[in-house]
Amino acid sequence: MEAKIGVFICYCGGNISDYVDCERVREAVSKEPGVVVAKTFMFTCSDAAQEEMIADIRKEGLNAIVIASCSPKLHLQTFRNMARRAGLNPYTYVQVNIREQCSWAHTHHKEAATRKAIRLVRAGIAKARLSIPLEPIKVKTTPAVLVVGAGVAGMRAALALADMGLEVHVVEREKAAGGWVKKWARVFPSGRPGEELVNTLLKGFEERENIYLYLETEVVEKRGSVGQFQVRLKGPQGEQEVEVGAIVVATGFSPYVPKEGEFAYGASGVLTLQELHALLKRGIEGRFVYAGREVRNVAFIYCVGSREKEGHTYCSRYCCTAAVYLGLLLAERYPEVKQFHFYRDMRTYGKYEIFYHNCLEKGAIFLRFEPPDVPKVEVAGERFFIRVKDRLTGGEEVEVPADLVVLVTGMVLSPNENLVNVLKLPVGKDAFFNEVHPKLRPVETVIDGLFIAGACQGPKNIAESVTSGLAAAAKIGALLLQKELRLEPLVAHVLKDRCTGCGECVAACPYEALSLKTEDGKQIAYLNPALCKGEGACVPVCPEEAIEIWGYGHEQIRSMIQGLCKEDL
Amino acid sequence: MIQVDERLLERIAKDKDFNAQACFNCGTCSALCPMGLGLLPRELFRYVLLGARDRLRELSDVIFSCLLCRLCEANCPRGVRITHNIRTLRSYLVKDEYRIL
Ligand SMILES: Cc1cc2nc3c(=O)[nH]c(=O)nc-3n(C[C@H](O)[C@H](O)[C@H](O)COP(=O)(O)OP(=O)(O)OC[C@H]3O[C@@H](n4cnc5c(N)ncnc54)[C@H](O)[C@@H]3O)c2cc1C
Ligand code: SF4
Ligand code: SF4
Ligand code: SF4
Ligand code: SF4
Repeated sequence: MEAKIGVFICYCGGNISDYVDCERVREAVSKEPGVVVAKTFMFTCSDAAQEEMIADIRKEGLNAIVIASCSPKLHLQTFRNMARRAGLNPYTYVQVNIREQCSWAHTHHKEAATRKAIRLVRAGIAKARLSIPLEPIKVKTTPAVLVVGAGVAGMRAALALADMGLEVHVVEREKAAGGWVKKWARVFPSGRPGEELVNTLLKGFEERENIYLYLETEVVEKRGSVGQFQVRLKGPQGEQEVEVGAIVVATGFSPYVPKEGEFAYGASGVLTLQELHALLKRGIEGRFVYAGREVRNVAFIYCVGSREKEGHTYCSRYCCTAAVYLGLLLAERYPEVKQFHFYRDMRTYGKYEIFYHNCLEKGAIFLRFEPPDVPKVEVAGERFFIRVKDRLTGGEEVEVPADLVVLVTGMVLSPNENLVNVLKLPVGKDAFFNEVHPKLRPVETVIDGLFIAGACQGPKNIAESVTSGLAAAAKIGALLLQKELRLEPLVAHVLKDRCTGCGECVAACPYEALSLKTEDGKQIAYLNPALCKGEGACVPVCPEEAIEIWGYGHEQIRSMIQGLCKEDL
Repeated sequence: MIQVDERLLERIAKDKDFNAQACFNCGTCSALCPMGLGLLPRELFRYVLLGARDRLRELSDVIFSCLLCRLCEANCPRGVRITHNIRTLRSYLVKDEYRIL
């Protein structure tokens, strides 16, 4: 078919036209083969300009358009929609960025900026000339979800998903659901025993018929892609397979376990925060006795296993608040026990600051240290002496006697090598699972249909874990409640007659979208378009040029290079 | 080195009105004091909270120099009962340390 291309160049209200001579660009490109219309606009994105372009598309019967304006990040969708309204296939539209990639970058040299803009637009025209109309890839969705890990994050996500009418399979590797929270004597900010929170969630499970809980079960295999995953589970009753449209990983954390001798850990009377929880949960009548001796002084040492120079460099977020909150419980039950809190920075952020103040009012004494001057714990018979340079007393050395030392331990990822391998979970440099972007896409992973929530993403308290569980549920709802997904068609495809089945591309693909398959007795590469991200790692490694990306074909790229190199400026 | 004296802590804890822990070390009091008691009351209170008995004995001159004028107290942003606290300390020194009464 003969190409009939429209080229529209944007002034961007001066952002472009102050440095690029847009009229000269229009002149230069209007003579390119296939160009039937070439125009400039003050703002191509304005309604008036869009209406004019739509009219041109219809009047001239254009079959491809090029808009030279800003970054596709900003307006690719705007102009694709415009093309659609004009009756043009959106994938025959090419956006050329002459703002971020030209005028803004070369404000010091207008002539060169103009020449570069001409080259960029010519390349765009070359691409448009060979563009092919494409349709989104359609995938039917299975209205079911797999939740891995039945802590508060996973359980709350499961309830929300069930309420959307989706079938929810919750897999928990332990004997009981609830994660760590059920172990806590009393949790901030509600003041309820952790078990009570978990029981509320469990009751919700019982009340819903579309939640299936699998205890002592793990995920052993995953196949398929977004909308249609097949997952094999291994439990006490053997293996079984479930079909789901999306997966949420909410496998939580492990408390940091101090090394033997770290702040005298290992000596009787040195506990971690979770060990103190267990002690207080059991409850001790009357006076506070530990290992047969009465406890008069308790010392809390903060930031153990967090904010290290190397290793666990991050702040574990929950622990300052958890420690002062436990201090309050201690003060309530045993008002005669004196508390000494050795902290670095009091990170009881938000409204939790009130717990710190309450703890101060109860008479707890806070001493502030700063590495490398960390508290030293000396074991002296049945007692401990903790020595520290206290920043709140002008750096003077203070020695505190204590009967119980509580190490305020941080969070590390719950060990999960198998799951990481089976699901190909992205792991960050702090060893927690990685989201795409902590603020903009906080529960999505680079793998479509695979979500993460709760403390497996990084340290979180209960409220934050539950919030991220609900966020994942909302994202999945938006995905699976449409019966059919429409995925971007700009993915790779194998040119079967050229492919020799060497497997180079299979090894290059980071998303396992490619595999080798026998077809008509010949081994060739096979692509799962729902897994492909269209990022092109496979294209340059193929010795036969047998794989290309829709919208970025070999011929298109070659002619773009020619457009860029043409010297008639 | 400051050694925490548990008896002193217990003695001070008995006085429910002693509220030095509310102090957040801003220094307003020291700046306003007409006696120029630079140490008072914020550092002094810190020593009391820590049960630094030796320091209190060393500082008894300062504790008895205060005019109890309440200029500091009227301006303390944390509502520390500064003069009450100083009276408590004087009574502690007289009764428990020097055993004058
Ligand atoms: C000592 C201490 C006190 C705390 N106190 C408070 C408090 O008072 N208030 C507060 O808000 N927060 C508190 N927290 C934080 C709170 O515990 C966490 O925010 C919460 O547990 C995170 O929930 P989660 O569901 O993400 O993870 P988890 O509670 O860790 O649950 C994860 C679940 O996933 C399961 N799992 C792991 N791997 C797999 C697998 N491969 N297959 C199947 N299942 C798997 C685990 O067995 C577990 O049941 C405290 C933390 C500690 C350490
Ligand atoms: S929350 Fe507090 S105790 Fe925990 S790592 Fe951060 S600063 Fe340290
Ligand atoms: S374009 Fe990227 S994701 Fe797609 S098959 Fe090639 S390497 Fe894999
Ligand atoms: S004015 Fe009050 S809060 Fe400030 S240092 Fe003095 S006693 Fe402390
Ligand atoms: S009450 Fe004492 S410390 Fe306060 S300003 Fe007066 S003299 Fe100074």
